[in-house]
Amino acid sequence: MPLALTVNGEVRLSNAGPMTPLLDILREEFQLTGAKPVCREGFCGACMVLRDGRPILSCLTPAGLVEGSDICTIEGLSPGGTLTPLQDALESHDAVQCGMCFPGMVITLTHALRRTHDLTDAEVRQALVGNICRCTGYERIVAAALAIAAAHGPEAARDG
Amino acid sequence: MVDPADTVMNFRRRDARDKLTGRTRFTIDRFPAGLLHGAVLRAGVASGILRKLDVSRAATMPGVRAVVTAGDAPGRIGIGIADHPLFVVDRVRYHGEPLAAIAADTFDQAQAALAAIVFDIAPMPAVLDMEAALAAEAPLVHPDWRSYEVLFAGGARGGNVAWEATAVRGDVDAAFARPDVTIVDSAFRVGRQNHVAFEPRAAIAAFEDGRLHIETSTQVPWTVRNGTARLLGIRASAVRVTVPPVGGGFGLKFDLAIEPFAALLARKSGRPVRLVNSREEEMLTCLFRENAEIRIRSAVTKAGEILGREAVVLMDCGAYGGEQIFLTTMTAHTLGGNYRVGATRLVSRAIYTNTAPNGAFRACNGVYNTFALERHTDEIAAAIGMDPLAFRRRNVLGDGALGATGQIFEGDVLGPMLDRMAELRADAPDLVPGDDGRLYGRATTVGTWFVFVGPSAATVNMNADGSATLVTSGVEIGSGSTMQALPQIVAGVLGIRPDDVVVRSADTDAAGYDVGVGGGRTTVSLGAASLKAATEVRGKLLAVAAAMMDVAPDDLVMRDGRIERPGANRYGYSIAEVAARAQALQGPVAGTGAFTGQGVKAMVGCAAGHFLDAIDIPVFAVHDCDVAVDRETGHVEVLGYRVVQDVGRALNPSAVGGQIQGGVVQGLGYALHEDVTIGSDGCVRQSGFETYRLPLAGDVVPVAISLYEGAPSSGPLGTKGAGEVPILNVGATVACAVANATGLRVQELPLTPPRVLERLLGRKPDLAFPHIAERWADNLLHPHGQSTGSGDGG
Repeated sequence: MPLALTVNGEVRLSNAGPMTPLLDILREEFQLTGAKPVCREGFCGACMVLRDGRPILSCLTPAGLVEGSDICTIEGLSPGGTLTPLQDALESHDAVQCGMCFPGMVITLTHALRRTHDLTDAEVRQALVGNICRCTGYERIVAAALAIAAAHGPEAARDG
Repeated sequence: MVDPADTVMNFRRRDARDKLTGRTRFTIDRFPAGLLHGAVLRAGVASGILRKLDVSRAATMPGVRAVVTAGDAPGRIGIGIADHPLFVVDRVRYHGEPLAAIAADTFDQAQAALAAIVFDIAPMPAVLDMEAALAAEAPLVHPDWRSYEVLFAGGARGGNVAWEATAVRGDVDAAFARPDVTIVDSAFRVGRQNHVAFEPRAAIAAFEDGRLHIETSTQVPWTVRNGTARLLGIRASAVRVTVPPVGGGFGLKFDLAIEPFAALLARKSGRPVRLVNSREEEMLTCLFRENAEIRIRSAVTKAGEILGREAVVLMDCGAYGGEQIFLTTMTAHTLGGNYRVGATRLVSRAIYTNTAPNGAFRACNGVYNTFALERHTDEIAAAIGMDPLAFRRRNVLGDGALGATGQIFEGDVLGPMLDRMAELRADAPDLVPGDDGRLYGRATTVGTWFVFVGPSAATVNMNADGSATLVTSGVEIGSGSTMQALPQIVAGVLGIRPDDVVVRSADTDAAGYDVGVGGGRTTVSLGAASLKAATEVRGKLLAVAAAMMDVAPDDLVMRDGRIERPGANRYGYSIAEVAARAQALQGPVAGTGAFTGQGVKAMVGCAAGHFLDAIDIPVFAVHDCDVAVDRETGHVEVLGYRVVQDVGRALNPSAVGGQIQGGVVQGLGYALHEDVTIGSDGCVRQSGFETYRLPLAGDVVPVAISLYEGAPSSGPLGTKGAGEVPILNVGATVACAVANATGLRVQELPLTPPRVLERLLGRKPDLAFPHIAERWADNLLHPHGQSTGSGDGG
């Protein structure tokens, strides 16, 4: 029986075994290469996707365990290339450098902003404890998230 | 002429949207049709003789399309010395050295076939650190070092000394012999640092129309082209290298890496081959910033004049010389930088060990030489009873000061930068030590680095729609130079918007030679070439417009997308109209530009074994930080950090600021917790993110930044490189601040809690280096200035 995965609102089938990391199916079968294999040990967060709205490490998640869940990848967050307010803030804060960590950063912060609309500086840093960036030194990422929290409040947070 | 002000703006990078939405296709995201998956078999011993390697069974395994070994790639490559074969030929020199590579239909099949390769390595004695490598009767990492081709003459070599460079100016013995001097003797040691570029080294190779096409995650497309050709025994022009967006470089990708394996497998299989390093391979064989040991002594008067200085710097190059052979040069320009010194003698030795080869990493040995020099400076100030900041103000390089090789520095830069730092500190709230029992301290340090100028080429094609296409071999590694500085320069010259400058990604078939993206050179060297190319286009367009309007070209201005006569009625044409007319009359308009360093002079006889006797464009930095040290745990917290950086001219201040914040944080990792250790088996212990501790969002502070503009620079529009140097003095500043807080003689980095604690508790003695001779001259293979020839040192 193929795996039936609901990814970005579509049911997609995979013949991979149920223990195959979700990340590999997303990237190599579904061509959703936004999530990145960086450490493959669950420390860097670059592979994060949303499962039923909560961030998970797709590198350590066997695909068989997420049948029946809604998987949302970075590609699904901004269909048609329209930036979410968070992505927009990251762009306007000139936060991006190499870009490898940003898909995971966006997933984590989207969830954090949805959960708590008035995040503090310390809460943003706490939310990012599982997302590593090697280029930017974090400050602009934190500032962009705080700008969303402060400027748009609960409404923008809901839209992510 | 272009008004430099027209090129300065906080232009936003065009690649941000795709990177934020997951659409960017890095090399690791590319899966061309019909591709095979490659994998590399690596040796599991540090030193040994390869007695048997049998791939016959592996070659018949399911899905296997090609197996390659040393016989397929007989050449050797290197910097200075061609000492590095692609595969183990007969001798294993480090844990992780490649034995064979396989391409198969799936990655799992390739892995299974690797396991079926039969080999036998007879272990041999290994030298795992520099003390062992320099011991009398030490086993040689390269017993036949004399037979290697010398690619750059001049360095002394012998036994486990891969390369030795010396810089001598003035009479150091006389300075040390003076009765009125205080002699300060310091020793320092630093560990390795892993780049941890988030995109591992990755390549896809294919043969197309009889030529090799390599798509790769590199900073140096031309090095990949030329080196791969050398190893495969084909003409360099038979190799084409293209570079997708690169997911982080930091120097890791400033050398040939896994491309030749992919190329060999593609040649043998006739199929495209994808090869991607695992994170573990990256952690164990990443061409680290090298570990080093430094002894530095100075003779200083009571008034604080530095009369004489000598140093021995040992750099561990690992099993092959690589970048460290070049980097021996940079000791003279970093340890010999910062301060005016009467007489100086420095020796920098790259030492072979049976460990993974080291390489380039953002500001390279400048980082630890600055650590050593600045800590030594604080020890000098303490020894003569002078305030460390006052000592620095008295001695920093100024206009006309001499470097270690006798190069004459231009302009007073560091002095005014120290003044600027005083202002920056005054803006910050006073640090109030808490009553938490921690020890509080602060420090200000200075640093000297350079721009690695060198050949670059650019072409600008003017399109009839008013846009321009810039073609270079520039690679976008994340720093934004090709997304911001380069299009800003071209746009500024042509009077168009930077959005209307298309930047072609690197392709060695499309653009001329380039040294690569690194060494702070992109904006300077590629920028200068781009400026020239755009200026040629500008001249051609102005000539056509002048004919259209029956005026002299000098009477016209080019701005806001128009060529017009200055004045109220703005008589003229859009640039698109002029470009279209030019295209119709003469054919399309294009310009080319080329650049290379001008070669600043050193004093004759000062430098031996150096690749650069002087630095064309020095770059200075002043850093300052506050720390708190926990007496119970040894944990160091950085409370505040400030940077004044010499940028020449900041074309995009926002982009420069991003580089400074990111570079400082990488430096904080180096200073505090990025620790690499090597086990008794010669294998690096930190194989992943669990054991290699990278800075997290909660560890860092916002860096207060002041860009110092206006220092002399031969860069285009007065620019200097800005992305490399932010990491330069971070280790130094944190170390000096910890020394200031604790009163300890801080001698090592990183300052992990156990290392700080054992010093706080007095359980660790001062460093001693039995393998560094007491007399400076006894550390040299040959007396400085004696002709070295190529092979009688050992």
